[in-house]
Amino acid sequence: MATDKTNLQLVVNGILNENPIFRLVLSMCPAVGISTTVMNGFMLGIAVLFVQVFSSCTIAIFKNKIHPRIRIPTYTLTIATWVTVIDMVLAAYLPEAYARMGIFVKLIVAFAIITMRLEMFACKESVTASFWDGIGMGLGFMFGMMALGFVRELLGLGTILGYDVLGFKPLLFFVLPFAGFFCVGLMMGFFNWIELRYKRAKQGA
Amino acid sequence: MKDIATIIFRLTISCLLAGLVMGAAFVFTNKAKLHNAEQREQQVMLGLLGYSAAAPAPETLALHPLHRYIVTSGETSAIGYLVPVKGREQAGAVFVEISLDGAFLGQQPVSLAAGQAAEAGARDAAIAAALGAGKSLRYADQTIIVTEAGKRRAYLLSGEFPGFKTFIDVVLALDPAFTVLGLEIMEHEEDPGLGGEIVQGYFKNQFQGKTFEALKKLGVVKTPLPEEYRRALEPAKGGEAISPEEIARVQALYQDKDIYALTGATISSRAVTSGVKAIAGKFAYRLAILDKVLAEQHIAVPF
Amino acid sequence: MRQTAMIPRVLIALVLFFLVPGVVLAEGLVAGKDFGEANEIIVTFSQSPDRQTAGDPANYTVYEEQDPDIRLGAERIVLSEDGRTATLVFAEPLNTTKPHVVTIANVAPGAESFRVTKPYLGYLVTILISALLINNFVFTKYLGLCVFFGTSKRKDTAKGMGVTFTIVMVVSAIMSWFFYQFILKPFDLNFLQIVIFIGLVSLTVQAVDTVLRKVNPILFNAFGVYLVLVIANCVIIAVPLILADNEYNFFETFMLSLGAGGGFLLALYLMSSVRERMELANVPRSFRGVPIAFIVAGQFALAFLGFSGLNIF
Repeated sequence: MATDKTNLQLVVNGILNENPIFRLVLSMCPAVGISTTVMNGFMLGIAVLFVQVFSSCTIAIFKNKIHPRIRIPTYTLTIATWVTVIDMVLAAYLPEAYARMGIFVKLIVAFAIITMRLEMFACKESVTASFWDGIGMGLGFMFGMMALGFVRELLGLGTILGYDVLGFKPLLFFVLPFAGFFCVGLMMGFFNWIELRYKRAKQGA
Repeated sequence: MKDIATIIFRLTISCLLAGLVMGAAFVFTNKAKLHNAEQREQQVMLGLLGYSAAAPAPETLALHPLHRYIVTSGETSAIGYLVPVKGREQAGAVFVEISLDGAFLGQQPVSLAAGQAAEAGARDAAIAAALGAGKSLRYADQTIIVTEAGKRRAYLLSGEFPGFKTFIDVVLALDPAFTVLGLEIMEHEEDPGLGGEIVQGYFKNQFQGKTFEALKKLGVVKTPLPEEYRRALEPAKGGEAISPEEIARVQALYQDKDIYALTGATISSRAVTSGVKAIAGKFAYRLAILDKVLAEQHIAVPF
Repeated sequence: MRQTAMIPRVLIALVLFFLVPGVVLAEGLVAGKDFGEANEIIVTFSQSPDRQTAGDPANYTVYEEQDPDIRLGAERIVLSEDGRTATLVFAEPLNTTKPHVVTIANVAPGAESFRVTKPYLGYLVTILISALLINNFVFTKYLGLCVFFGTSKRKDTAKGMGVTFTIVMVVSAIMSWFFYQFILKPFDLNFLQIVIFIGLVSLTVQAVDTVLRKVNPILFNAFGVYLVLVIANCVIIAVPLILADNEYNFFETFMLSLGAGGGFLLALYLMSSVRERMELANVPRSFRGVPIAFIVAGQFALAFLGFSGLNIF
């Protein structure tokens, strides 16, 4: 059963309607743990994008040959393979970024978002649709992480992407790890508020 | 039955495919990873000596690695150094054994191809072959002796010591009189913004210029860092440019003072200070013994 | 019935296992040795030695085990009243994380040499407390959050998830340790870590699922539904990665996994207690549900920050 959406709509869907971090509330660990700077968010977003796209495509290519009873182990194996590959590639070619992300690159294998997407989308849809959906989800994740990173870096260190914008550190605790919880909670509440206003406006009109 | 057979068959195929993909990626990326690690080390070491992309190191600069081992035969232990030697035809290496009290025990030539000395496995095997049976080796650490046109210029020591959280890895540069040339923090797990500030210039550059005598008595004070000292320590940052004479004046002023602790990270500051003292102290003691033995035995070393 | 009788026996066996080596060492000249203050080593003799020789710093050779050529000279020796205890006082504080070797000459026939370390049991308990409180996986390391927020709405769900998770954690960590020590390390296959570890977790979940179904269906109805969620938990793969990185041995692995599971259970229980109350509170509309849970979790994380740097042993 093919999806009705066009490829562009799939991508936008991943970024807005079904944004993994803010709407689907999945893959929270990195959102809280290492969204301290925009660069961190960007790099991890690239890694997740890579894993999501490749896993989705792999499963979409082989979807007819996967026996239903070993669905989950197959998904896990695919994801683990691609995570290992991106882990090695990052360690070899971008060692500084890799050192900052620490253990989180290896943990991508446990991200619920990727397994969910494979289960709900890739095993039913065509390869191109899965490809664009993967891109959408990955971009949505990257966008969420970068938005968080932007807020935390600006308020915590006074810099953006390493450039000293403010010249002083307004609220240092925003860079400390636990502030990730506060930030995500506040931003989620903010998005909810926007959605409520939008719904109310639509109803009123 | 047929179902289970299909399942197992498909699962095995998937595992094999996955293994192939990962193996291929490993082969490609492993070389790049090792190369990058080496590059980073080189950059850090040259940076400590004052060289960078803008001011590259001269041709006459040479880095000689000195590897230290602990040799155990039965109950007794001894210290062994893998020392590069100047030969008539080509450079080689000699393994010098020194007892725990500083007496010379023996030396054996070690056959190592060029570039093999950097690889731990090849090095250990070559030394074990030279020593013969009955002795076990344990790798201790590595020092780099930097010479310029044959004369000793600096010593680069790497060390690890416990910090506030787990461990702190540093590279320390000393000049021939054991005065600190520079300190670089390689790895740490301190809190960002608090203990993590040990990587900032205004902390680690405080160690620059401390003489060996001052280092032995070095302490940590909890008073705030004076503004003029901070500007001299981080001349690259800050609004106005600061002249080299001003920097030299301020450095001379604070040369013999203790280290100013980081705000909210006294324990990390103390850990780094005592770690640096220990590394420098142990090295000075060991080098004196090694130099004496090398001189007495007339071992021709390129440094 | 038989199961409950087993537990005290297992505990007694464990205690004896740790104490017996200490008893055996008591023979010989040195009855006890320990670190005292930051710059002291305390030696207890089984018989009072000659006061003159025991009080002379020149008779004691002390060095850190891995630096046998650097001799740490004791500044002075303080003998107790009955002469059975000697306290070696040093000028600089000692690095108590490393084992030290002390050799006493001239006191007994031949030199008596022994190691001074912090007690190993203390080290194991430190790993446990560290994984439980100081480096709590949820509040300090920010792992396992999806499952955490999903199952912390009620106390029952929290307890069920926590217990299931601890069991799967311990079993899969131990299996991962075996695999790592005997297959991955010797054959230099470290890049297969991720695949192997997650594979072992799936295997454990499947095994626990099957066993529980057959052995105790009631328990299965209570906990079985959480088994599937365990795989999506970041902690379950973080622990094997940590133990591989730190090269832990078997006991340290056991303590780490127990602490990780226990810490997760603790975090879940605390969170669920608060969230049950919040259902009755007057929360603004946009914050209801997950956003306010995040803010509460942030406050817990802030509180747990207070454990940072705690050093018991």
